[in-house]
Amino acid sequence: MQIEDGKQKELEIEEIVGSAVSKEIQVIGFELGSELVGIPIEEIIEITTDKDITPVPKSPEFVLGVMNLRGKIVPVTTVKKKLGILEELPEDIYSKNKIIILDTEFGEVGIIVDEIIGSIKFYEDDILPEPTGTIGIEIKHIKGVVQLENDKLLIILNTKTIFSREES
Amino acid sequence: MKINVPPDMQEILEEFLVEASEILDNLDQDLIDLENSPEDSELINRIFRGMHTLKGGAGFLNLTSIVELAHRMEDIFNKVRNGELKITSDQLDILFEGLDRLKEAIEMLKEESEIPAPEEIEDILKKLDSILESGSSISENEKINQEKAENRESSGNDKEKPQRKLKFKADVPEGLKKLIEKYPDKDLAGLLEEIILMPPEERPMDIIPVIEKLIEEGKEIKDLVEIEEEKSDAEPEEKAEPVKNSPASSKKSDLPQDPEPQKAEPQKNVSKSATKEKKKSSDVIRIDVERIENLMNLVGEIVLDRNRIMRLISQLEKEVRSETIEQLNETVISMDRTVSDLQIAVMKLRMQPIKKIFSKFPRIVRDLSKKLGKKVNLVIEGEDTELDKSILDKLEDPLIHLVRNSLDHGLETPEERVMMGKPEVGTIKLFAYHEGDHIIIGISDDGRGINVEKVKQKAIEKGLITPDQAKQMSDKDAYSLILMPGFSTKDQVTELSGRGVGMDVVASVIYSLRGTIEIDSEEGKGTTIILKLPLTVAIIRTLIIGVNNQIFSIPLHAIIEIVKYEKEKVKSVGRFKSLVLRDEVLPLFSLNELLGIKESDNKKFVVVVKVGEKFIAVAVDKLYGEEEIVIKSMGELLENVPGIAGATIAGDGRVILILDINSLLNDVKKELLGVL
Repeated sequence: MQIEDGKQKELEIEEIVGSAVSKEIQVIGFELGSELVGIPIEEIIEITTDKDITPVPKSPEFVLGVMNLRGKIVPVTTVKKKLGILEELPEDIYSKNKIIILDTEFGEVGIIVDEIIGSIKFYEDDILPEPTGTIGIEIKHIKGVVQLENDKLLIILNTKTIFSREES
Repeated sequence: MKINVPPDMQEILEEFLVEASEILDNLDQDLIDLENSPEDSELINRIFRGMHTLKGGAGFLNLTSIVELAHRMEDIFNKVRNGELKITSDQLDILFEGLDRLKEAIEMLKEESEIPAPEEIEDILKKLDSILESGSSISENEKINQEKAENRESSGNDKEKPQRKLKFKADVPEGLKKLIEKYPDKDLAGLLEEIILMPPEERPMDIIPVIEKLIEEGKEIKDLVEIEEEKSDAEPEEKAEPVKNSPASSKKSDLPQDPEPQKAEPQKNVSKSATKEKKKSSDVIRIDVERIENLMNLVGEIVLDRNRIMRLISQLEKEVRSETIEQLNETVISMDRTVSDLQIAVMKLRMQPIKKIFSKFPRIVRDLSKKLGKKVNLVIEGEDTELDKSILDKLEDPLIHLVRNSLDHGLETPEERVMMGKPEVGTIKLFAYHEGDHIIIGISDDGRGINVEKVKQKAIEKGLITPDQAKQMSDKDAYSLILMPGFSTKDQVTELSGRGVGMDVVASVIYSLRGTIEIDSEEGKGTTIILKLPLTVAIIRTLIIGVNNQIFSIPLHAIIEIVKYEKEKVKSVGRFKSLVLRDEVLPLFSLNELLGIKESDNKKFVVVVKVGEKFIAVAVDKLYGEEEIVIKSMGELLENVPGIAGATIAGDGRVILILDINSLLNDVKKELLGVL
């Protein structure tokens, strides 16, 4: 019973804080084609570059191959096609690449990105829930968009729908 | 019913779960044995003790419905061992059901930290009670109100034997004196238990440490009182008395301040022989599988490093000649031996006897044969044969399926058997033995065998083969048809065999473990199915090959031989290419087409692999040699990629895929049937 009481109190405090200040969100921003895209930092395990990727025959189309992440074998995927962005892989993608390792339902999974921008912070209230048809990305894989100060539009990806069991 | 276990009890809960599963597994076997030898008092005692321990453990954790179930069954066996009750076959069914319900409850507790609600077990409790009542006239109510009954009993005792007024030694505290007088039949551990069962406000907390200390010192009640020896003689028997009154046990969990005496209690409360068993098992420690897995991984890394170092040394030897290098080489050779030993030692940690699965079959066969009205004698051989735990865990379902098949489809009814001049009781034999670095697990029956024509007919109906193919097919090939996906069908699936698992699933499990299945049958005489499996899954020897500048590895166990690719020996036969090898014609594929990657014109070698009963030639570009590798999983996202068994990390850090030739050839296998 005591524990429950404690929990309740904690919740109350959080609620008060939450109503006063909107939560700050930090994402890692990167480019996919011409779009600026972000993934919340909690979902990212690490960022790595120029890994040797071994192609896996007969694997799903979006799987580019597998790589060695400190003795662990991690699949590397391309998400552009799922998002509806034109996919053009350079020939040397299997050795020259920028990969963001995500923590997904399937364990660690890497995604290939074109350019890594870096950390971007904003407040939860800044997220516009319904992206209008102006952006070129599949809506079901989007959590929302944020209008940044430099007038750029940041698209926040929903990694849960991209890597879900139904999806593959 | 959700169970909330406080964090400090978590460890006790986990220990209980492990112990409970073990007890229940043993009970399964014991109950079967009981059916065959109902008079075996050692056996009955063992079952009683098992239930008792289970109940005790569940009591601490306040797992009421488990306590209730175990309590009833314990009572039943208490009567059996006192000769008040004889178990009939039907009653044994109820006991089995009770056991199953206990297993379910434990499973539930493990998975969802829940136990069945009281009303969920009402039906089985009633059934168990009916057994109890059949023994003597003790009514159900009386049992539920056991606490009262017990109190009555003890107070009655006091009145009947006033001479039992005890004289205590001087240093015995007042509270303890009272307790000893109140429960004259209990020993010290029993008293401790009684204290815990008391309502919190009446609990004499100060007495607990005193009793504990006495127990530690090895004292008994008779050391505290000055009475005749006779009374304390009764004690050892009383020790085996069940922990009475389950309702009161619910109060135990309100007492977290003293986990130690609670934990220590069940051990002290069991009879002497059980204590002996405990002593024996103290030489054994339980280790989390995860830790062993971790160790295995580390050993795997060392194996890889050793391979790398050895390669470097042989290069170094070519480049420079020096004494130091020679010494280095010697050191590494010695390390090589140690690493090999280490590898074997760790592998052995993961080895478990197949008894773990085999022991489930007497029960399964008993239940099934009863249901089917068939008479079976189950023979089990080689149950001490050990194999890797990860393989063992995956074998249970396939083996159950095979045994069910044997019983359901293989064995005839007693009448049929008599008509055919066979013994009325059929035999199913389950056996296991080691053969080289493989384990052979087999199941054979003396049933009706497989009708080759029927199988072929069915395969044709299902469109698996053409009538032409059927004609050319050998019996052995025809048997392997039943392993193909799409062969077993709904209309053939009975309540027993059909659990959504077909023979094709059995086969795919075995193949995924890099094993093989062989079916042998003689119509009218019986069927034998042999599974051949590797002893371990973690480390394998492979051949490293290359196509299109990509490197792959093929497990050596699948490879028969390697020959040079010679264009003039390749012939085109219909849709397929074939290779003439000595006097034989083998179907030939390039690895590129099997993998669905771009064709190369660079074939230099042909690897001949064995798939089922067939030899198939696979052309590759390059050969890099043989290597021992550690299989790593590619993660959930890629676990079902056909043709890929896993991956390993090469000396240069790159990932090399391990091919699963069998599944790689799955697509072409169907077309190939009967072609040869």
